[in-house]
Amino acid sequence: MDVFILLLEGIFVSFEPLNLGLLIFGCLIGLFVGAMPGLGSVNGVAILIPITFIIPPTAAIIFLAAVYYGAMYGGAISSVMLGIPGASTAVATVFDGRPLAVKGEAMTALTAAAVGSFVGGTVSVILFTLFAPPLAEVALRFNAPETFALMVMAFATFVGLGGDDVPKTIFSILIGLALSTIGLDLITGKPRLIFFNIPGFLHGINFLVLAIGIYGIGEMLWTLEETKGKVQMSKLSVNMKEVGRAFGALKKTIMAMNIGSFLGFFVGILPAAGATPASLMSYGITKQLSKNSKEFGSGVPAGVVAPECANNSASTGSMLPMLTLGIPGSPTTAILLGGMILWGLTPGPLLFTQEPEFVWGLIGSLYIANFFTLVLNIALIPAFLMVLRIPFAILAPVIFVLCVTGGYAPTQSLHDVWLMLLFGFAGYILRKLDYPVAPAVLSIVLGPLAEKALRQSLILSDGSMGIFFDMAEKPIAAIIMYIAIVLLIMPAFGPLYRKFFKKAQTT
Amino acid sequence: MSITNKITVRRAEIAVAVILALCSIALMIKSAENRITWNAEENMGAGFLPFYLSLGMLICTVLTIIKFVLKRSPQSKDDSPFIEAEAFKYIAVTIISLVILVLAIGYLGIYFSLIFFLAFYLRYFSSKSILFISVFSLITPVLTFLFFEWLLKIPLPQGISEPLFYPVYDFMYS
Repeated sequence: MDVFILLLEGIFVSFEPLNLGLLIFGCLIGLFVGAMPGLGSVNGVAILIPITFIIPPTAAIIFLAAVYYGAMYGGAISSVMLGIPGASTAVATVFDGRPLAVKGEAMTALTAAAVGSFVGGTVSVILFTLFAPPLAEVALRFNAPETFALMVMAFATFVGLGGDDVPKTIFSILIGLALSTIGLDLITGKPRLIFFNIPGFLHGINFLVLAIGIYGIGEMLWTLEETKGKVQMSKLSVNMKEVGRAFGALKKTIMAMNIGSFLGFFVGILPAAGATPASLMSYGITKQLSKNSKEFGSGVPAGVVAPECANNSASTGSMLPMLTLGIPGSPTTAILLGGMILWGLTPGPLLFTQEPEFVWGLIGSLYIANFFTLVLNIALIPAFLMVLRIPFAILAPVIFVLCVTGGYAPTQSLHDVWLMLLFGFAGYILRKLDYPVAPAVLSIVLGPLAEKALRQSLILSDGSMGIFFDMAEKPIAAIIMYIAIVLLIMPAFGPLYRKFFKKAQTT
Repeated sequence: MSITNKITVRRAEIAVAVILALCSIALMIKSAENRITWNAEENMGAGFLPFYLSLGMLICTVLTIIKFVLKRSPQSKDDSPFIEAEAFKYIAVTIISLVILVLAIGYLGIYFSLIFFLAFYLRYFSSKSILFISVFSLITPVLTFLFFEWLLKIPLPQGISEPLFYPVYDFMYS
């Protein structure tokens, strides 16, 4: 009952004029950002975070969450119409969305994507409302050792479940952490890693510099290389008959909706996962369980609904650990978490008691954003198609302008703009060689918090690392640490498992 | 054979791994300027964490190099060009123009630098008319000014062009 009242209050908060205006504006920007090839929620949030400094934190998080949400919807538009995913979260949408468009059923694909996103978003936000308060209550009992153990688990999840090259993944985590140590040591106050005695390093490296560099500059370079400005748009006829037929086709997608919504939410909670693996897994499982699995890939609405349900559901799910534990569930929430620190908030369970308006305003806004995005998405499809026709040669410099100004604004230092460029170029090269970049962004956000938790824990234990493995004194920290160790060593068993599986199959 | 064909994925993989290994060593040396030891009495030295994080980075790059030598990574067996010639033009021009943009911001200020950057970029990559390019290149910095200086009250760098903005500020704050 308490939760219901708090939720109602949250919904009222999101209906305040400023919040509602920003919510609708955020949904629109998110749809636009998601629809543009190469741009996704993470790019939109990273580039837009500097403009939230003048508005209250609640309005800022509602705006950015709406951008995040809208981008999940919008990603499907370019996947279907251009055959290029708007973002990695919409990769799986191409598998059946594009064939549908090629068959002349683009409207069916777009409607399936929008409705799937709406269902996934709604189911996940209900799950979020139910799970968040009890989880926050448990997390309130966490001290420095538990917090540090959670962060180690977040890093370990990237290694265990990320699916990327293990040394490269660990390198990415470590470089993010190393970058986060630049500046003044938080205990001794001594300057660390001040290269060439450049004073700009004394204030450390703002996570936004890395995030905008990688997801703004780096991503645009990547997209420029991939598309070279050449895209082929499918034809689309928009009329009520087409829309009605599209809704009719959704009757056969109930299973896909269920799988996408629930799987997406729980995958989204995992720190390394986020919406991209959720949508791919959801597509794969729906295909496996479907009676018409052979038709997947040739253009079936369920093949669009499953990933779209999952990516929206996962985006909400990834906010659960961010709000309750202070651990982001996706690259986008890592940036949102960094934003919360910039706005003067302390991410974690205390938010529920100290900043209820912020937390419940965000949760309430997710319900509202879900509705508005569905309506805006379907109503504005012709407008988004016009936007997709904007040549990349025009869009790219505008994004670069946003990156340069966004990189300068937080600290008002050109030093940070140079660093942002450097990270952008480096991120582009590293990504081409399959170095995952998301762990670095997560690490630079979590780095200072992890270091603080580690050093506080070691002060508590008189310098003994045993505090993290003491089942009698700190059982939660110990269990989390052991899970982290299992996750870290898991990739080593991958080849053994495959070898065993192959042998079993041949015999 | 063009330069883009000479730089294969395989070559890029080993070159980047070696560069990252050297960067890791440099970070270790830099970290060692502070105390890198840790014990119960003295607690953790300021250089301890960065030193061991960089050591971890070095180990990861060495593992990447070993995987390369043993041909265990997809990149170590890939002799295709790291970047296609046509894409290289896009990337190289973009990177160079961005570097010039940031250099110019320090001297000319952001607004005039943006005008030149946008005009060049659009002229080079798009087939739009001179009129469109001119209007677009002028409007974008004006909108940037209004958004940052008027709405957010965040001053952006103006370099030598700063005196030109005094009348605008007088008007805005009078």
